[in-house]
Amino acid sequence: MSETGREESVVQPTQGTQGQLRKAVVVGGNRIPFARTGGAYTKSSNQDMLTAALDGLIARFGLQDERIGEVAAGAVLKHSRDFNLTREAVLGSPLAAETPAYDVQQACATGLETVLGLANKIKLGQIDSAIAGGVDSASDAPIAVSEGLREVLLDLNRAKTLPQRLKVLSKLRPKDLAPDAPNTGEPRTGLSMGEHQALTTAQWKVTREAQDELAYNSHRNLAAAYDAGFFDDLLTPYRGLTRDSNLRPDTSIEKLATLKPVFGKNLGSEATMTAGNSTPLTDGASTVLLASEEWADAHDLPKLATVIDGEAAAVDFVHGKDGLLMAPVFAVPRLLARNGLTLDDFDFFEIHEAFAGTVLSTLAAWENEEFGRTRLGLEGALGVVDRSKLNVNGSSLAAGHPFAATGGRIVASLAKMLHARGQVDGRPSRGLISICAAGGQGVVAILESH
Amino acid sequence: MSDPGPVVLGDMPSLSKLYVNAAATAARRRLLGTDLGTALPESSHEVRGIMVDVEKLTAYQHLIGEPATDVLPAGFIHALAFPVAMSVMNRDDFPLPLLGMIHLRNAVEQRRAISFTEPLDITASAVNLRGHRSGTQLDMVAEARSGKGDAVLWRGISTYLAKGVFLPGIDKPSVHMVQADFRPTNPTGLWQLGVDTGRAYAAVSGDFNPIHLSALSAKALGMRRSIAHGMYLAARALADVGAVKGEAFNWDVSFEAPVFLPARVALDITTVQADGGAWERSDYVAWSPKAGRKHFSGSVTSR
Repeated sequence: MSETGREESVVQPTQGTQGQLRKAVVVGGNRIPFARTGGAYTKSSNQDMLTAALDGLIARFGLQDERIGEVAAGAVLKHSRDFNLTREAVLGSPLAAETPAYDVQQACATGLETVLGLANKIKLGQIDSAIAGGVDSASDAPIAVSEGLREVLLDLNRAKTLPQRLKVLSKLRPKDLAPDAPNTGEPRTGLSMGEHQALTTAQWKVTREAQDELAYNSHRNLAAAYDAGFFDDLLTPYRGLTRDSNLRPDTSIEKLATLKPVFGKNLGSEATMTAGNSTPLTDGASTVLLASEEWADAHDLPKLATVIDGEAAAVDFVHGKDGLLMAPVFAVPRLLARNGLTLDDFDFFEIHEAFAGTVLSTLAAWENEEFGRTRLGLEGALGVVDRSKLNVNGSSLAAGHPFAATGGRIVASLAKMLHARGQVDGRPSRGLISICAAGGQGVVAILESH
Repeated sequence: MSDPGPVVLGDMPSLSKLYVNAAATAARRRLLGTDLGTALPESSHEVRGIMVDVEKLTAYQHLIGEPATDVLPAGFIHALAFPVAMSVMNRDDFPLPLLGMIHLRNAVEQRRAISFTEPLDITASAVNLRGHRSGTQLDMVAEARSGKGDAVLWRGISTYLAKGVFLPGIDKPSVHMVQADFRPTNPTGLWQLGVDTGRAYAAVSGDFNPIHLSALSAKALGMRRSIAHGMYLAARALADVGAVKGEAFNWDVSFEAPVFLPARVALDITTVQADGGAWERSDYVAWSPKAGRKHFSGSVTSR
């Protein structure tokens, strides 16, 4: 049964994941500092960074030669040669070579999805320990040959005689030699993520001032967390970086106000999204150690938080029914209903700051009566997020956002915060994670202090 | 005899200048018939406060197949120390011709992990001049410390042979080392080494010895084709042993038949475990799958 004391609001008790299954706990995490693209990790590959984050985790929790139940991680921008990225990183690490691993790819939700999938396996008793993670490099991005050149090369490989080969080669045009670089555009709309968000930001009438304030708070909170030593046991230096290189501790509302809009410029005076209130392209990696309570105890390791539940959602963004990054708006009410919770039952909110506008549009939708009734199927608005509980140690606007690495960053940080908070009003402290992703997707999760 | 102390070089010596100088010295000695002497220089050379270029480190790690962590691979430190050792072998009082020397063996003690962020002092000296059945051999000893006076963190002994050079007063060893017959086994790895292997390693190690760069430059020095750097091969074997070796280990290699490029090289790594199942040693041997000739062999041992 639910531990929340709100059994009456649980729709179907059998759907709850607590009570019938054993717990999956977050033991801890390790990431490398995130670097702005073209910075300290320019020459580092996804495998390099994932291995570095993994090495630090292994050293922190004494996992040398340990056979972990399963390791799952992924990258959004991925070279085709990295098909077994996570397994290769495991093989390059001091973990036992008998540790299986698999790759996950769900755009920016990759990291959180690895946590949820592995936690579920632990809850089911399929595995006792797991490492979830994610990595992304915008610097070492894959560049593909053009479709024309690719076809010619494949045909050339199939051609058997010299005349056949010459005929294939004759199909090659100069334009085929230009490579295809990856971009953040949505395949179905051609709009970049920022352009999509600019439409949503304008739709929810989110002001420039509100976005700049959120960005300012992100930098201020992250800088304070570093100064307080919060990341000392969550991070290992890499390639000379000891802090996220995007962090600007000295930024101010005034400085942020001077930046020119970069997205939604066709909106004229409604153009509010700048480089300051949008996340930059970033390189980095993160890992999270998950375990059953028994495994953590047997290894004399901490149990920071319990992975309670998770929910994925997707929206029909292609023709503008909903904003590209608004799926968590729908995922959270479903997750809360299943667990018999409201927004008032949380002590921490970790809403990934893809753009300040994303966070603020999400909050606006939850606070909107009509939207709650007509779109979320509720009696009214979902509720209000207490801003003093939102991204209290900074989020992606300050730390940066190496796509697949963000989930692991948030889970490890939140687990530590929950553990430090302990009990609140006789119940375990509780945190909500919300991560939006390309393709109109989103993954959200609930963690509780252990 | 009093220790003269190391000759402290202001900067890391340039390998390309050292190679040019070595060629000039060789020509001068040939023309003038200079008496080379029969003793090694007593002075060691030292370069202090060496900072590793992280881009070069990453390029090295990618080429060799080491994970690109912040820890310096043992072979990378060898490459870092190589110009210092070369500068000793380039001294006027060094009794053997530098060019054409053959790398016979290499032994490295990695005493603890060294991060690229640590400034290193590297010292090199020449010791143990002795006979060999086909010439004269010596050991170049290099040591890396973190800051002055600190303990040695890394120590490498490179044994070189000056083939066909016999110095007065230095006898050939009376006992011939008889090589055991080599029988190829089933390889655990197969390397495809392209013609550019030598150039690629030269780019990350700085060792632009012409015998490794191209067939043409190698022919100029009497080789039929270019050959792979021995330390490139040994470092790849070390990387192949993997993270099981831990942070402190000994790493030895003996070189036999050179690897002419391009080449396929077969490799076998055998893991030796202690009674408790802990890793104790990995032995490796590499050979030509075509000719069945042994290229090199060695081991990585826990410290």
